[in-house]
Amino acid sequence: MDLELDDAELVRQIGARHDREAEAELFRRMAPRVRLYGLRHLRDRHAADDLTQQVLVATLEALRANRLREPEKLASFMLGTCRMMVMDLRRGTRRRERLLETFAADLMPVQASTPHLDHERLTRCVQNLKERERAVVVMTFYDERAGADVASFLGVSEANVRVIRHRAIHQLRSCMGVAA
Amino acid sequence: MSCSHPIDAAVLADYWLAALTPSEEDGVEQHLFECDECGARLREVIALAEGVRALAREGSLQMVVSDTFLQRAAEQGLRIREYTVPAGGSVQCTVAADDNLLIGRLAANLSAANRVDLSFCDVRGVERLRMTDIPVHAGAGSVVLQYPITYAKAAPSETQVARLVTYDDAGAERLLGEYTFHHTRTLPGPGAW
Repeated sequence: MDLELDDAELVRQIGARHDREAEAELFRRMAPRVRLYGLRHLRDRHAADDLTQQVLVATLEALRANRLREPEKLASFMLGTCRMMVMDLRRGTRRRERLLETFAADLMPVQASTPHLDHERLTRCVQNLKERERAVVVMTFYDERAGADVASFLGVSEANVRVIRHRAIHQLRSCMGVAA
Repeated sequence: MSCSHPIDAAVLADYWLAALTPSEEDGVEQHLFECDECGARLREVIALAEGVRALAREGSLQMVVSDTFLQRAAEQGLRIREYTVPAGGSVQCTVAADDNLLIGRLAANLSAANRVDLSFCDVRGVERLRMTDIPVHAGAGSVVLQYPITYAKAAPSETQVARLVTYDDAGAERLLGEYTFHHTRTLPGPGAW
């Protein structure tokens, strides 16, 4: 399998001859992206893994049936599928069981978890922030609420909180040794 | 392949926090579905967010917090030990093994204070630590300090004096309140550092 195969060619190969290597490449390439979407919208690793499996088998189903009319729009198609499935999950309607029964043998474990951080170093980096930056970062990430509460506490606008948060994130990343 | 339009880590943090407008979020998601380099950066941001969240939950940071933060921590089952001290007052305090957060509520009139510092001194008045320009709310009537509980659990019995100070127009320091904490160690362990 040519790993440089672009998305459109991948779609064509799966549609034309159900190419197993092309399908494996589809999983390898797209699973981490779908999982990130799932983490962002479902806030749960297991739910994100489930979403990933569901989106990939639904995509595979569509590609094998040549239902993707514009192969170069694979990424948009999968993003749209993610959005629909998250809405379905929220409505409580699931295609999961039927799809998993059909495609269980084709599924691969989802890779690409979040990287490990040095806890002690992060403690030092957070403690080295200015007081307001530390308050913004900690209270924001504690329960993942970006705006109004923190702004009210600091007596500044939500736009100012955003500026402080951005500055703090850049400093933390720099302190942790990753590019800002 | 290197990304020609990398998304800034802070913008990715906004995305993670659902703090972008719908059109901004749509643009970020379209990009993330075609760019593994920015996806890797988002994973770093998520790890950072989770790391900071873990630090907050374990109560190991020394920082000023809001009542909303404490309320959410309590709702999530964290055990909070809180001491309220009036200006000029003192309190006998300790910490138990199953406490998660250690809070000192320092009463003060903050209505005319611009910049406020919180200084920690030993009983002789020697300053050990200063938190500069802490976040305060003029109408709050108190500063809510989270003290590192991991330190407190390991600390021997000792007395610490916290001082809230502000500055007048000429830049001279003005005392808002002094608070004495007599910490008694109740957990097993060494009696001194």
